[in-house]
Amino acid sequence: MQMHINKFTKRPARDAAVENLLITSFRIATYLIVIAAGCIFVNITYNGAKAVFQAEAPFVNIGFLTQKPQTLHVYEPKAIFFEQNAVNKQIVALEQQSEALAYSKNSDKEILSIQEEIAGLKARNKMLEKARKSGRLLYSDSEYQKLEALPDPENYIYNNYAYSGGGIGPAIIGTCLLVIGSITIALLLGVLCAIFLSEYSRPGKTLQLVRLSILNLSGVPSIVFGLFGFGIFVLFFGWGVSLIAGWFTLAIMALPVIITASEESMRSIPKGFREGSLALGASEWTTIRTNVLPYALPGILTSSIMGIARVAGETAPIMFTAAFALRDQLPWQGLEKPSDFFFQGVMALPYHIYVVSSKIPQNEYTRNMQYGTAFVFLCIVGAFALSSILLRIRLRSKYRW
Amino acid sequence: MKRYFHNELSDIRTKLILIGEKSIEAGQLAVKGFLENDLDIIELALSLDDQIDDLEVEIDRAAVRYTTLRSPMSADVRLIFVAIKASHDLERAGDEAHSIAKKTRNILNRYGNIENPVHIEKMALLAFDMMRDAITCFVEEDIELAQSIPPRDKEVDNLNKENFKTLSDRATTDLIDTPTAIETILISKSIERIADHSKNLAQEVVYLLTGK
Amino acid sequence: MTPKTAHHPIIQVRDLDFAYGDTKALSNISMDIEEKKVTALIGPSGCGKTTLLRCFNRMNDLIDNARILKGHIKVSNVDIYGENIDEIELRKYIGMVFQKSNPFPKTIYENIAYGLRIQGVRKKTLLDEVVEECLRGAALWNEVKDRLSESALSISGGQQQRLCIARALAVKPKILLMDEPCSALDPIATAKVEELIHQLKKDYTIVIVTHNMQQAARVSDKTAFFYVGELIEYSKTDDIFMNPSDPQTEAYVSGRFG
Repeated sequence: MQMHINKFTKRPARDAAVENLLITSFRIATYLIVIAAGCIFVNITYNGAKAVFQAEAPFVNIGFLTQKPQTLHVYEPKAIFFEQNAVNKQIVALEQQSEALAYSKNSDKEILSIQEEIAGLKARNKMLEKARKSGRLLYSDSEYQKLEALPDPENYIYNNYAYSGGGIGPAIIGTCLLVIGSITIALLLGVLCAIFLSEYSRPGKTLQLVRLSILNLSGVPSIVFGLFGFGIFVLFFGWGVSLIAGWFTLAIMALPVIITASEESMRSIPKGFREGSLALGASEWTTIRTNVLPYALPGILTSSIMGIARVAGETAPIMFTAAFALRDQLPWQGLEKPSDFFFQGVMALPYHIYVVSSKIPQNEYTRNMQYGTAFVFLCIVGAFALSSILLRIRLRSKYRW
Repeated sequence: MKRYFHNELSDIRTKLILIGEKSIEAGQLAVKGFLENDLDIIELALSLDDQIDDLEVEIDRAAVRYTTLRSPMSADVRLIFVAIKASHDLERAGDEAHSIAKKTRNILNRYGNIENPVHIEKMALLAFDMMRDAITCFVEEDIELAQSIPPRDKEVDNLNKENFKTLSDRATTDLIDTPTAIETILISKSIERIADHSKNLAQEVVYLLTGK
Repeated sequence: MTPKTAHHPIIQVRDLDFAYGDTKALSNISMDIEEKKVTALIGPSGCGKTTLLRCFNRMNDLIDNARILKGHIKVSNVDIYGENIDEIELRKYIGMVFQKSNPFPKTIYENIAYGLRIQGVRKKTLLDEVVEECLRGAALWNEVKDRLSESALSISGGQQQRLCIARALAVKPKILLMDEPCSALDPIATAKVEELIHQLKKDYTIVIVTHNMQQAARVSDKTAFFYVGELIEYSKTDDIFMNPSDPQTEAYVSGRFG
């Protein structure tokens, strides 16, 4: 078939192919990122769900979510324990044999039979593992103390693991308190600053200096914020390791993000609204209050989401300023006077993950706790973000422009 | 800044000058035919009338079109209005020339020559000078020249009155037959009308140049 | 340039020089704006007519480095750049309509009520009255009376501009400044706004900046021609367009500029 040469003939195939290749590579990059994110989420969800959800009603492990971290007392069936040890020793011996034989010739048949034996033993191990898991008894501190009779030492081996039992209730409350408080302070300060920068400031050296400092603030490592908070709020102001010190430290961390996003949001309001309002005889503040801020609110709320994301997961700033590894009482218990509420330390989820991961030896029970904490943490941050988004949607429909 | 449609204005100016020239030519030819008793010249004068009429219609059309499509202001709009009025005046002058030619032809057909030219030659000179000056002051934008034209109309009027007296006297005393007398009076009147039109033209030029 | 002293000059400008930073925008402007007449300011781009307009209600204060170098502007005999002048009160006396219509993204009702609400008026009956009066005054009532609680952004461009005019009327100004109000509108909307201006001039003094000479000729009683920051000619509209004194004015109105 003849291709008619006309003004609009297709480009040479090579150009089109190069372009398609580029587009495909963009697509692949995007999919890779999505897959990576998906893997992380799926991993945490899968492992964390083991701690958070349970097979029986009410399907959520309430104990995990409300109790404080406790020591886990584990009773493993003795018989299975000894048998597993024996089987493992046998597997090791056989593997050594197999390795030794690998160096001599004419032993292929023997190696094969040894491999079969090892496979058989491993299968047995699996069954034992299943039996062990179904036969073992796990007690947290509170349950342990309620036991009327301890399990028979003849049948069970006893071990206890710190931080692996109980739940993360106080940490959840602590993180929520920290986030709410710090974002409130950051929004208050940040929005006021953003209003000043976008509405009242005059271009000049001072303004450039201000912007530069805000930009620098966002580049400071979080551990430096922690030290700064420690030096000023904990030591200099004398607040000690407290909720309020954590609030201010985290607020300063969130400020640059909130200021920048809020200012952008206010700048995007068309000049016409301001001019029209001023021409009707409104003062500058009235104009801002009635004609700029309400329409900038969705943007400001978005900035708060970004702030929450920055602040909620930080360990370093709260390590020295607000967080305790373990606290027996909930924040509203044991207060001498109401203001003590602010001057007490709290547990926090990211810090708890850090403690469980680094301060105690690792085993399958600590892994459970870590992933459970991470999963709950993701859910909480997601909940905050979702509420902010919902609020934003409601405001957007009310103040549409 | 000259716009692409400003040449339409200069076209109108050119047409105005053209209709003026043709009008003078028709008038002068008619009077020449009268003075020299030449029927051929009369025929030439008669043929110009159609051209003059056509030109007037063209100018009118062009003026309306320019006003509608180009939204002229100030001096341009005055030019348009003067163009319409002046072309009308010049067309009427052309009609008067046509009338002179026809009446001359009648007399010549009756007698073969003109015996009582009275002041026609002098009147014609004055009137056509006025008209030529009117066109010149339009072309050269000469206000002083334009203002000098209206007073000259008086002399032409006086000559016309004298003609009337002379011709009516001669008609009453049977020195001329009545139709010829009447026709000659009418020829004189036509020249006087041509002078009037020239006066109008001069006044329009003053308006064009000063806005008053 | 001697200013023509009018019968009731509600705005008097004398020897005004105005600059943005180092650039002089207006030089030696002297003119009187007559009360209850429409005055048009015409001239090519950048000639200073919008600058002068915005001087009248001190909207130029919003621009950094904009300032008067010399001269004064008196509104109803009060020097508006003098001491002790509250520009907020001034802007209630002098209203403004902008080139690009800027209705607030509120309801139509709230747009008009805005000017009164910020002054503290809360009585619904009073607000209802004023909204209807202003919408009628802007020839918009019949078109939107059933839609008062809809967003002001849902009406057409020409209606939005008339809404802005109604909104400006709500605070009962004495003077209305219009900065090229029809430049973004189609011919029919433009015609409606021009008819409105013709109605409004019975009660308000109107100063209108326009690029469109035909519009200035249709709408105004007096016209001022500006060029490169100077007032070249200022007289009755009839004279400016039919027989201007200055050759620059003549060149501009007959389109032979440049």
